[in-house]
Amino acid sequence: MFRVVGQIVAMAAVGALIWWLLSNLSTNLNRAGIGTDFGFLTRPTQFTIPYFTTFNARSPVWQMVLVGVKNTLLAGFIGVLIASLVGLVIGIARLSTNWLAARLATVFVEFFRNIPPLVVIIFFGAAVFTFGPLPILGEATEIKIPGSSNNLLLLSNDRWGIPGLAAQGNVGAYLIVFALGVVVAVGMWIWRTRVNVNTGAPHHRLLWSLGAMALFGIVGYLLLGGPFVIEWPSLSENRRVIASGFAMNWGFMALTGALGLYTASHIAEIIRGSIQAVPKGQTEASSALALNGFQRYRFVVLPQALRIAVPPIINQYLNLVKNTSLGLAVAYAELAALTSTSIANGRPAVQSIVVMMAVYLTFSLTISLILNIVNRRLELVTR
Amino acid sequence: MTAAAERAPAVPKGSALAWIKERLFRNFWSGVLSVVLIAILAYAGYRVVLFVFVNGRWEAVSRNLTNFMVGRFPRGEIWRLVAQMTLLGLALGVAAGTASGSARDRAAEAGLQYDPPSLAGTLRRFWSLIAFVLVLLAMTTTVGPWLVAAAVVILGYAGWQSWRLPRSLRMVSWVTTALLLLASFQVVSGTDGRAWVPVALVVAAASWLGVPVERLQARLRRVVSLAAVTVAAAVVFGVYSVIGAPGVGWDNWSGMNLTLWWSAIVIVLAFPIGVLLALARRSTLPTLRYLATTYIELIRGVPLITLLFMGQFILGFMLPAGTNLSSISRSIAAGTLFTAAYVAEIVRGGLQSLPPGQAEAGQALGMGTPAITRKIVLPQALRAVIPAMVGQFISLFKDSSLLFIIGVTEFLAVRGIAHAQPDFRVIAHAETLVFVAVGYWAIAFAMSRESQRLERKLGVGER
Amino acid sequence: MTTEQIFADATQAKGEALIQLTDVDKFFGDFQALKDINMNVGKQEVVVVIGPSGSGKSTLIRCINRLEKHDRGTIVVDGIVLSDDIRHIQEVRRETGMVFQSFNLFPHLTVLDNVTLAPREVRRMPKKEAENLAMQMLERVKIPEQARKYPGQLSGGQQQRVAIARSLAMQPKVMLFDEVTSALDPEMIKEVLDVMVELAEGGMTMIVVTHEMGFARAVADRVVFMSDGQIVEVGTPEHFFTNPQEERTKLFLSQIL
Repeated sequence: MFRVVGQIVAMAAVGALIWWLLSNLSTNLNRAGIGTDFGFLTRPTQFTIPYFTTFNARSPVWQMVLVGVKNTLLAGFIGVLIASLVGLVIGIARLSTNWLAARLATVFVEFFRNIPPLVVIIFFGAAVFTFGPLPILGEATEIKIPGSSNNLLLLSNDRWGIPGLAAQGNVGAYLIVFALGVVVAVGMWIWRTRVNVNTGAPHHRLLWSLGAMALFGIVGYLLLGGPFVIEWPSLSENRRVIASGFAMNWGFMALTGALGLYTASHIAEIIRGSIQAVPKGQTEASSALALNGFQRYRFVVLPQALRIAVPPIINQYLNLVKNTSLGLAVAYAELAALTSTSIANGRPAVQSIVVMMAVYLTFSLTISLILNIVNRRLELVTR
Repeated sequence: MTAAAERAPAVPKGSALAWIKERLFRNFWSGVLSVVLIAILAYAGYRVVLFVFVNGRWEAVSRNLTNFMVGRFPRGEIWRLVAQMTLLGLALGVAAGTASGSARDRAAEAGLQYDPPSLAGTLRRFWSLIAFVLVLLAMTTTVGPWLVAAAVVILGYAGWQSWRLPRSLRMVSWVTTALLLLASFQVVSGTDGRAWVPVALVVAAASWLGVPVERLQARLRRVVSLAAVTVAAAVVFGVYSVIGAPGVGWDNWSGMNLTLWWSAIVIVLAFPIGVLLALARRSTLPTLRYLATTYIELIRGVPLITLLFMGQFILGFMLPAGTNLSSISRSIAAGTLFTAAYVAEIVRGGLQSLPPGQAEAGQALGMGTPAITRKIVLPQALRAVIPAMVGQFISLFKDSSLLFIIGVTEFLAVRGIAHAQPDFRVIAHAETLVFVAVGYWAIAFAMSRESQRLERKLGVGER
Repeated sequence: MTTEQIFADATQAKGEALIQLTDVDKFFGDFQALKDINMNVGKQEVVVVIGPSGSGKSTLIRCINRLEKHDRGTIVVDGIVLSDDIRHIQEVRRETGMVFQSFNLFPHLTVLDNVTLAPREVRRMPKKEAENLAMQMLERVKIPEQARKYPGQLSGGQQQRVAIARSLAMQPKVMLFDEVTSALDPEMIKEVLDVMVELAEGGMTMIVVTHEMGFARAVADRVVFMSDGQIVEVGTPEHFFTNPQEERTKLFLSQIL
């Protein structure tokens, strides 16, 4: 009896609190002349986003939200790549028998783990780019390819130019050839696995598959007369923009670089911990069976270490995506930055923030869902 | 079989040459790696030495030292901060001494040897903090900071003597520490602003724990506990509203001072909320469980900055017109809501790790659920999660840098003040950043080392 | 391949030394774990090593397959000298099988995969052949029906028998047993010892570190008593248990028998 009454009381109390807060909210908003609806999403943003030429002041707000989402995901994706690669290297270096490598890796980890990510981001933003040693765009440093007049890299404190790909025609045909290459690669994989099962010879299936794909890629490229061409970065005539190649703005580079390194330090710790958590008896047993170092890692240590490491690593990926909200500090147009600018330009704050939180919540819940599925697949079978 | 005489090992184990061969040049690739790394280190070391001692324009830091430490704190009231630091030094000394005394007692009981912490050991333990303070002192131009540092050390050492106290006075020691901490907060803030909030919380918690309700009947116990808590909070609020003892409320705190206190206040406020949330999440009542889980998952799914924005822009509208919360108060509210969810998850982990036999034993003894929770489950669970809580505090300490984005002047944001000065508008950005990074690092590093030490001493497992 | 054929090359005359340890010392830092060890193990011999804990028994057999590195002296296994050369070490490990106190089965692989892993990867056996061999080994240790299960689903005794099968699948010349029954519940010790007795009677060369005196009496050709890193006494089981010579031996036996 108490249970039912107690729960009704609890729900009533919480409901009353929420109702009180919301009613205050709408009263005060109305008094201030700010609407409480979400109609603002379809109205023009009235500001421009630097580096985004397809977006102008008349574009509706929901388009701005999409730009923010896209940029958040882009920064998150590249950040995750950097963090995983660097984290893997540093994590393994921590366990190296080479004292220098191990100590330097430890210093890296202890350094980045104990400073706020915002400080790292601002350091990249301010000390490397804005107030740093690099020249302004008009006088960008050009790193040329030896023996030609083309640039390999364009460096300035505002934008960097790297080589890009330009489509020349026959792109569709090339994609078909590439898809064929993928099919053949899969066939190679299956064939080599079968060879290994039947004869015991090492399969080298990864090499065969990649080789097949590379063969198709190269032959297809030559036969179709070069559907893609590498575009070297260069400045425009008036030296105001990067006219060719692929341009990256400083906000993006500072954010992804900083978050990549910061998260890498956490991932390195997770990887180190997971490898050390594999009981010593496992390596002993595999050594006693005459498995060499590579085989030990591949068949015994890493499968067990990854089981331990994957859930916290996915958690770190989630943290990285959430940390992209610090792009505000380096004027990178991700979701939080755009929301902040939009509020500063007069859009209703409450609704904008609600929209922003809803988007981040979607990201988190998606990643958590993936995490749960992964967890269930990885569980070791016991009684 | 003959018995062989003991012989010394063939390779001199301790020689430096053997060490280098084993650690750096075990095989060809290791040797290559060592050479490359040494080259990089040498070059990097050279550039760092140049930066720190030759080229660096550290005046940007040294001229703004007070700004970095206390921001825009009214210079005429600095005596309050001095008093605060000395009280904190004393409090820490008493706490350390009492802990040491308890450890000594436990060792004596078990018949084990107790090694008192040595000066060298303590210096090594907190080397990052000591180094940072020395760097600060080296950059000051007046003698004041040196005197304050000396006073803090002396008082800390005086407090440390509390290890000599007999066991009967241990509780008094701990209470003294709590009072000193409260006083250090009080001496600065007076009764200004929202100062009553953390004080009310601490007093209410003390009354919930302290008022003896065991002697009363079961039904009365809950009522009396609740009444005691409410009365305590109300009394504090009343006293603070009536007595006008002006101080410098936290609305005017900034710099590193604000960073540290913001983190402390938020964790103190978030802790009870987090514990309640954790209990609710494990409750048998589905509504409570549902509400708590929704809250926790919602908060953990969004970045802190969105909650700070919410505090900045929305909170004001949600309260009745006329309540004026400062930026800092709003950020404390947002931070508390954020941290409570994470504390809840930590405490829930601690509760789950407790063997169910504990609660069962309490039930077998005829205790009711609230008593079991209060006397058996919570104390053990909370003790088990101390390292994780310290970790959360370190996280909070680092996350306080986000206040910079909503315009609150904490440690990182003081760079804005420094670089607004005409001399430093475009130069010395790296120097101030390095200083800020070193400041955060020194404190966070020391705290994380302490947390690891605690984890080892409490025998709690990893992860 | 039948089990008999697998052990065919172990049916040569006893007495030909398969393992030779000469003047072996081993240090852990300043502590000397092995002092002046001289021992030979011949083909098809079953040597049981006993002694108090800390006497160096485990260290001794772990030096034989280089899980520990000896500091002085020579160890020769089937004509291969143990040195820092990794190829020699791998050769020795192919010819020696080791069973551990804590089983050390690979928890993420099925029982069958546990047993076939090394034959497939080290001896390059095709999968079918490896699985046939594995099933034969599992039959030998009397648990073929568990092949598709995971180690976590088996009892301690079953896991240890899988561990024995796993080592046997590499067709080693010598089997090393490191206190393999010490971590088992009493009712499971017998099933493991029975397997070991069958192995011994089938002609396998074995070095067994154990506390199980019944086993020593039943199948040992020689019993070695170690204490404080030294070999104190060696003898046949009859000599050893009825008429020990050294004082330390007598003391130890009085404590455990």
